[in-house]
Amino acid sequence: MSDCESTTQHAARAEEHGLRAEQFLRDLNSLFAEAVRTGGDQAFLQRTLDACVRAVRGRRGFLALVHYESGEVEVCNTSGEGWSDLGRKMRLHLAQETSRGITGHVALTTQPYVTGDVDSDPYYLRYFDDVKSEIAMPVLGPNGQTRGIINIDSERPNAFDADDMAHLAALAQAAAIALGIEGFRSRETALIEIGKTLTTTLDIESLMNKVVAMTAEAIRFEDCSAFLIDAQTDHLILKATRGPLADKIGAAAYHVGDGITGWVAKYGEPVRMEDPQSDPRWRGRLNELTTDEIGAFLAVPIISRNKIVGVLRVVRRKSHAPWFSNRFTETDERVLLTIASQLGAAVENARSHARLVRSERMAAWGELSARSAHMIGNRTFALKGDLNELTYLMGTLAESEQRREIISIVESMGRGIERLEEILREFRDFVVATQLHAAECDINTIVQEAVEETFPRRSKVRLKLVLGEGIPLLSCDEKKLKRAFSELIENAVSFQPEGGEVRISSSLLSPEERATERLAHGREYVQLEFADKGPGVAGEMKEKIFLPFFTSRVKGMGLGLSIVKGIVEAHQGLLRETGKPGKGARFVIFLPLGNQENGSA
Amino acid sequence: MSRLLVVDDEDEVRAALKRRLEREGYDVTTASSAGDAVEVIQSQSPSFDVVVTDMSMEETNSGLKVLQDAIAHDIFTEVIVLTAYGNVANAVESMRRGAFDYLEKNVPGVDIYELLALKVGQAMERRRSAISTVRRLEEYAIRQVQ
Repeated sequence: MSDCESTTQHAARAEEHGLRAEQFLRDLNSLFAEAVRTGGDQAFLQRTLDACVRAVRGRRGFLALVHYESGEVEVCNTSGEGWSDLGRKMRLHLAQETSRGITGHVALTTQPYVTGDVDSDPYYLRYFDDVKSEIAMPVLGPNGQTRGIINIDSERPNAFDADDMAHLAALAQAAAIALGIEGFRSRETALIEIGKTLTTTLDIESLMNKVVAMTAEAIRFEDCSAFLIDAQTDHLILKATRGPLADKIGAAAYHVGDGITGWVAKYGEPVRMEDPQSDPRWRGRLNELTTDEIGAFLAVPIISRNKIVGVLRVVRRKSHAPWFSNRFTETDERVLLTIASQLGAAVENARSHARLVRSERMAAWGELSARSAHMIGNRTFALKGDLNELTYLMGTLAESEQRREIISIVESMGRGIERLEEILREFRDFVVATQLHAAECDINTIVQEAVEETFPRRSKVRLKLVLGEGIPLLSCDEKKLKRAFSELIENAVSFQPEGGEVRISSSLLSPEERATERLAHGREYVQLEFADKGPGVAGEMKEKIFLPFFTSRVKGMGLGLSIVKGIVEAHQGLLRETGKPGKGARFVIFLPLGNQENGSA
Repeated sequence: MSRLLVVDDEDEVRAALKRRLEREGYDVTTASSAGDAVEVIQSQSPSFDVVVTDMSMEETNSGLKVLQDAIAHDIFTEVIVLTAYGNVANAVESMRRGAFDYLEKNVPGVDIYELLALKVGQAMERRRSAISTVRRLEEYAIRQVQ
């Protein structure tokens, strides 16, 4: 009888076992299909957990996910009976050794764990009274770290065997794949969104803001900041950020080459590290978190047309659980580089759009000024006629106090008209400055002629002329360049009335120097330098001095430097003022040579 | 009395030029466009001794048209072209086509009216000498024939 009974039981158990195996395969099959199709949303994770409980005949179970910043494990799904609301929101703090439990132990070791007698288990923390056995399986991320833990208990002692372990491992694999796909998908969406924004936004500031916001969808970080290099001052300027640095937007953050961020801006290589504080380049300036809080650091260059134009940087907080690495992965770096390269293209796009708008505005302005100059010129001419007549009539009057007074007024009017005509002339010069008549010229000859024509023969100002050798002929408008050089020389002399020095030099830039100056690759440049020991240009003025009608001199309308800049830019060159305020002005012109440099040269 | 035509599209400019040149003792007629000027030139007999014309009026090179018509009407008429806003290319072209001179209206610090009065005087002189040369040649030719 007992034999018969045991045979029946045995048969029943075998059948049950077979049904369970069948159910398991069906679950696994549909979960894998769903994982690939939809990714790991909340509903998917719930179904996975239910399947796990079924597969190992557990009483109840939960799925918890790991938070790397806080070092906590948080329950997100529960299955089975007896869960209180509190239990559904349970959080385990991994930093506290005594309260980690089996779940915490698995999270840290990334190994599955099983116990058939919880009462004698060193890790088990009692939550339900009836539990005798417990099995816990890690859900691993792409880098081998624990993303989550599936934990199932049973009221039976020694409830879980090797088969259960294998089944659970397979289901956990499905969850891992789904979570991985979910991650890729949100990254992909974020990258596509960033791409869209980049092609449709032409304002650099709002562009950078949007990118910083959207990068958060692609990479997990505490904070993200974007910097652009200001070519005039060679500083990284904070353009966008998410957190506590928001009120520093627009401020100069680092000199290029200074700090780790500055290093990235200088050498164009990404930097990815844990504990950036221990790096010798670390300056600890202008960070989103306090120095102690930063656990991981990733900065990549923003490159546009082979030129480093800025840095995109993300940081992570130190994990509260020291066993967890909270570092950025290679994938993070690749993603950030992708974003940065798109951003670089967009910055170039936005800048060339701004240049286009500016040049259209300048053209319209030129047209307008040409016409008004003509009209003003004619009126002035008529006025001169009246004044001429007045002078003649004064000559016919008898000498008197009144006559002398009137004559002085007429003379003053004459001076006013003369000034007016000077302004007209400057107007005209400004308009024609950019219309080039180029020919092959020797740049040193042009410099020398400008010096001979402009530098005063007798002056308290010393002249230092250093002309470089071996500079090839340059396709340029000789007259216009000479005019530009003369303007700079005149400026330098006039700002040193008590004497001083004007240093003028020319040279052909080496590839290294071109890189330092962040000039376009594959093109040779001539550098011209006009430095003096006058008062120099104060930081906030460095941009303004090149605007039309900006001057700190009494004489002249201030078209001077804007004309110089116009002439240099018409030659596709660059004009920068790089002197130290108080130590003297230093104007540097970079003129590209027509030839494209050969790869071997 | 020497006869002058002043062509300019600005009333004030015409008035100022007329006044100054009348002071030199010339008989000054004015026209306010190249079109007007052409009519006045063709209806004159004897023709004007000197024509002073602005370059940019209806067209940016209207002065060239005045120059062409003045010389076509009387080969000995001297033409002085005034330019504003440094229209150098047109000024050079007018010299090539036989203008006596060109003057820029807005040269800082130069009393252009005095300069113009001087230039008109020189133009009158050249016209007189050209005409007298031709007269002498004519007389010589007639004597040869006799």
